[in-house]
Amino acid sequence: MKSLTKRPEKKSPATSEIKGKIAMEDRTLSKNSLYLEIFNQPELDLNKSKLVGKQIPHDSALGHVTGEALFVDDITPTKNELIVDFISSPVAHGKIKSLNSKELAQQDGIAGVYTHTDIPGKNFYGPVVQDEPILAKDFVQYVGQPIAIIAGESNKAIREAKKKLKLSIKELKPVFTVDEAIFAKQFIGEKRTFKQGDFEKAWRESENILKGTFLCNGQEQFYLESQAALANPEENGDIHIHSSTQNPSELQTVVAEALGIGNHQVVCVCKRMGGGFGGKETQAAIPAVMAALVASKTGRTARVAYTKDDDMRCTGKRHPYKIHYKAAFTSKGEITGVKFDIFSNGGAAADLSSSVLERTLFHSDNAYYIPNLIFNGVVCKTNFPPNTAFRGFGGPQGMANIENVIQEIAIFLKKDALEIRRLNCYANRGRNITPYGQVVKNHILPEILDQLAKTSQYKKRIKQVEEFNRKSQTHLRGLALTPMKFGISFTTTFLNQGNALVNIYRDGTVQVSTGGTEMGQGLNTKIRQLVADEFAISYHDVKLMITSTEKNNNTPPTAASASTDLNGVAAVNACRKIRSNLCVVASNYFENQVGGLMSSAKQICFENNSVFDKRNRKNKLSFKKLVQLAFMERVSMGERGFYKTPEIEFNRDTEKGKPFFYYTMGASVSEVLIDRFTGQLSLERSDLLMDIGESINPGIDRGQIIGGFIQGLGWVTNEELRYSDKGELLSFSPTTYKIPNIQDIPDIFNVETITNPYHQINIRRSKAVGEPPLMLCLSVWVAVKHALSSVQKGKCPKLNLPATAEEILSRLTELKTQAKENVTKHGAEKESEVVLISQNELTFKNKQAA
Amino acid sequence: MRNYLLIYVNGRRHQISGERCFQSLSDFLRHDLGLVGTKVVCAEGDCGSCSVLVGRFRNNKLEFEGLDSCIQYLYQLDCTHVISVEGLKQDNQIHPVQQAMVDAMGSQCGYCTPGFVMSMAAMLETKESLTRLSIQDGLTGNLCRCTGYEQIIEAALTLPKLSKASSVMQLPSKIFNQNLVVEDFKKHASEPLLCEYVENWNGETNRARIFVPSRIKEAIEFKQKYKNVTVVAGGTDISVQINKQYIEPKCVMSLTNLKKLNFIEVKNSKVKVGANVTWTKLGEFCKQKLPELSEIISLFASRQIRNAGTLAGNIANASPIADSLPFLHVIDAEIELSGNKGKRWININKFFLAYKKTEMKPSELITSVRWNLPDSSDILKLYKVSKRKDLDISTFTAGIMLRVKHGKVKKARLAYGGVGPIVLRLPETEKFIENNPVTESVFQQAGRIASDEISPISDVRASTNYRKQLAENILIKFFHECCNNYQDKKEAA
Repeated sequence: MKSLTKRPEKKSPATSEIKGKIAMEDRTLSKNSLYLEIFNQPELDLNKSKLVGKQIPHDSALGHVTGEALFVDDITPTKNELIVDFISSPVAHGKIKSLNSKELAQQDGIAGVYTHTDIPGKNFYGPVVQDEPILAKDFVQYVGQPIAIIAGESNKAIREAKKKLKLSIKELKPVFTVDEAIFAKQFIGEKRTFKQGDFEKAWRESENILKGTFLCNGQEQFYLESQAALANPEENGDIHIHSSTQNPSELQTVVAEALGIGNHQVVCVCKRMGGGFGGKETQAAIPAVMAALVASKTGRTARVAYTKDDDMRCTGKRHPYKIHYKAAFTSKGEITGVKFDIFSNGGAAADLSSSVLERTLFHSDNAYYIPNLIFNGVVCKTNFPPNTAFRGFGGPQGMANIENVIQEIAIFLKKDALEIRRLNCYANRGRNITPYGQVVKNHILPEILDQLAKTSQYKKRIKQVEEFNRKSQTHLRGLALTPMKFGISFTTTFLNQGNALVNIYRDGTVQVSTGGTEMGQGLNTKIRQLVADEFAISYHDVKLMITSTEKNNNTPPTAASASTDLNGVAAVNACRKIRSNLCVVASNYFENQVGGLMSSAKQICFENNSVFDKRNRKNKLSFKKLVQLAFMERVSMGERGFYKTPEIEFNRDTEKGKPFFYYTMGASVSEVLIDRFTGQLSLERSDLLMDIGESINPGIDRGQIIGGFIQGLGWVTNEELRYSDKGELLSFSPTTYKIPNIQDIPDIFNVETITNPYHQINIRRSKAVGEPPLMLCLSVWVAVKHALSSVQKGKCPKLNLPATAEEILSRLTELKTQAKENVTKHGAEKESEVVLISQNELTFKNKQAA
Repeated sequence: MRNYLLIYVNGRRHQISGERCFQSLSDFLRHDLGLVGTKVVCAEGDCGSCSVLVGRFRNNKLEFEGLDSCIQYLYQLDCTHVISVEGLKQDNQIHPVQQAMVDAMGSQCGYCTPGFVMSMAAMLETKESLTRLSIQDGLTGNLCRCTGYEQIIEAALTLPKLSKASSVMQLPSKIFNQNLVVEDFKKHASEPLLCEYVENWNGETNRARIFVPSRIKEAIEFKQKYKNVTVVAGGTDISVQINKQYIEPKCVMSLTNLKKLNFIEVKNSKVKVGANVTWTKLGEFCKQKLPELSEIISLFASRQIRNAGTLAGNIANASPIADSLPFLHVIDAEIELSGNKGKRWININKFFLAYKKTEMKPSELITSVRWNLPDSSDILKLYKVSKRKDLDISTFTAGIMLRVKHGKVKKARLAYGGVGPIVLRLPETEKFIENNPVTESVFQQAGRIASDEISPISDVRASTNYRKQLAENILIKFFHECCNNYQDKKEAA
């Protein structure tokens, strides 16, 4: 049966010693930078921490299990509220000729129908380039693109009115694949190139080379709560919006610009999301504008809640990629050069595509040192909904690139793939420069690979698998171990900032507000722990408040895994400010209380709901009393904290720099079982091992690791976006789009973390954990490739991602019937291909030709 | 004749009439009662976020089961007691199921959580032991995108311990006094009800009616009178169409109170199943007698769907990928059609005429289905291929039944689904297999014949090629799984 090792609670004496040393240093150190402020301040009580490092249930767990936790569409409707829906494009590309919006507006129970002409301000928005219309003007560019907003008294009224819809569109030729886009020269942004060493030379001189094409398909975020927003009109044209968004600040701006009002007239709040995964980083904006526009036009509260079908049809997804690759390697398996030509399918507007592509370039090395390389990347513009952020943000596709190549090298050299992976893995000294110039430091990648290989009994099992494949007539097995290294920080440097507001009330309880949004990842829980520890008070005396642009301004999206890093430090910085005020109050108090004790704020210690002077530990003042005292003394007990990630920079002209504060790393090993007759796959066992630093909340982090892995499992196996030849998404609901369910998790599932003694930075020496575990899923996909490679010895199987049963069976059939190898079939983007050429053969052929 | 539906929600009595009867239970809970803990995500019974407990009056008591409230319309729920997630918390005390989810970190974003809590509560009601496997089965109908399920399973695994600790873990249904409810239902269920209303939209007037008969005779009479009536039992398909394709049936007959159609009879290896028997009940029955069918039932549908859907509905719906049909075709099942002129039996192999077209007359109603249990010398094997193993609509289905004597096939019956407009028998392939020896090469050849005998389409679930390849491969798979063993066994014997 299952064995899932729970992560033991961390009580490392070594680390608390280090902290103790810092605690004895002088406070004057803290003036250098905000970063130093947190790391070098006297940590009076951190080594006696009560809460950080403990498994504490999710901040909203009680609300979740009782159903009392409200999401946007759960908020009790106000009297007179309007329901907002939209009319969308039925075609992928076309020119709008007419729409009977006036007639529709006259239907029973309809309050208004609005098109782009009704938007008083800007109709275009976008996080990087403002090229995306909120409502289509003249042209439609994808199926599902909103053309008009319809507001009604009830869903029924809207449904009835839509029966009278007359929409006339002249269809134009759409572009769907990257090949079509390349042919039509439709690109978004500039081509990017990362270079290191001399690839061409390595290619020419290498003993062995291979090349091929690889397809890596998209994925729907499938957050359970679809996009939703609720807008209230307020006096003087102001708007208040509840939105299910990862990005309240951007949404505030987009709404203000669309309505032609100031940012200060819009308040955007987000209590929680029913999942985001990146899908609500930019794309919550259109529904929010819809609701805001109706509220502004009608003076009535307006609510929009997409149906799952509409949401899946009209919002962007993980980017599909097509990659042409070339690799040069020694007969030992050492990679000497890699070239990737990466084409991303960006959809109809820029959205975040260029940033996503950038992260792909940053991660196409994954965990491997590549001395000579060229990574080219470009985003193609097509007639699909603008593709957007999704957990991993281009990282998964980048890692899939190189893992695919490495597996093929192993197949070609008839060597064990782990041996090749281990050989090329980044070292700690030498062989540690990334394609973008950052040095991979303070890591334990080789140790992770070795430990996991040992605990998962990789060597023994790979023999068993090979033996099984020789014998079984009905099934195939595959086994693979893949590493993962993910850079933490927004690669757009200015986004790496955060602010927080901390208010202490007269009873000693605390409210904290940050720009971070809660989508299930446990951000609020972790910040509660951090703040409670700052004052050494109980977890229950701290409350995380609704995220609001009224309290926290100009905040980055809750994304890039870094939200605890950014908002956590900002909150702690706010606490430190209050604490230094309180220290003065306390020291004066103790001076009066204890004869001969000179007031010294430096000597004040917070511990166990009270404070004391270190020189007189017996005399204690409860935190509650201290707060009352401070109030009477007229001391501020509300402060804002700010934080920006230090030491990071990246130059997009040279494509070199240090974009990441640190890396989160790990590895996984998976074993799959494939039915030779149906191609159906089952995941028999997975072992995950991650370095996530010192966990702030092991229970939450464990949930992130498992949840991320399973989400990735969906991407590499069963989640298939199928479109009609007209560009309509056919798999637009869970009946046809199959995310993993409870039966799909591995039969044996071991999840562990590893201690990294070199990691000494970041808030409480933790590491970001949101996105990285998703990419552990690649071991499953590679295991499929491994299984297929045993069908015809020496033949390298082609395999697209995802490896659906249909994909696997067609590859199996292909291998068995020895179908025309290396021939690109019709509909090029449906195919991956691989050509293995040894240099000698090639030379030989050339000679013959001569 | 009654003119209102009677439904209890968390112990409170509701009489519902007119237009309000035409809404889904989830809409009723969320909009009419403000019980927003019940979430709607897919509105098609696939994600389980809207799961609730529904107590039906059976065998003189209320039997509580989990259902997807988004595809249960109120007219299917006359005389039921619904418990929503809000009902579990009483006097500020949360239920142990809820506490277990909190402690095991079973929630992340929380949107699916009430559904998981209710599905776990449903498992307590059926009093099964909570093992890893049973928990996975019980929660198959609930999707979570955040947790990867592991911590949810761990939460459920702590429950038996919890129950020991608190000596009496209160069953969710026991939170409420059911005695008065039962009395109320007894009074009401024997009386037929008719709800009518007139709607007016944009100058068009529509009359809509719902009929809930309490006797078969009334049902047949109503069908006679209103030929366009939509008959609803489990509603697992029609309700999805209402939610998704916005079909608006104006005349609905719900079979929920026809207790007489809720039976399974076995006489001399002849099985007869009433039209109101749910998959859950049929699955339990089949566990011993027809393990193959029981396995298929547990694969194709979640608990919530099995608790609602019926075998008769699967037949009446006439889908080419209906999961029970390959079995019914190879077993030569017969369908009982009841009309005003009495009953007639028709063989299922002659029942389906074309896509969604059947032999059934508008005035007729399927009242039961019967078949003979397979012989001990018969090999019966059912296959279902779908993208995801569990709770997925089939890409391809197959039923294979062979009678083998002395290493030779005496009788072969093959039925494939998902390869044409209706489920197909494969006469060419059957003919080829019969009288041939049981060898791999025979089945390889048979596979190729089968593949040529069909012409499937490409759609969202699979391409033509994949379906044709499956049609071929499934016979070889069958050989390896069944006949190899069969031969071995014979040889060993």
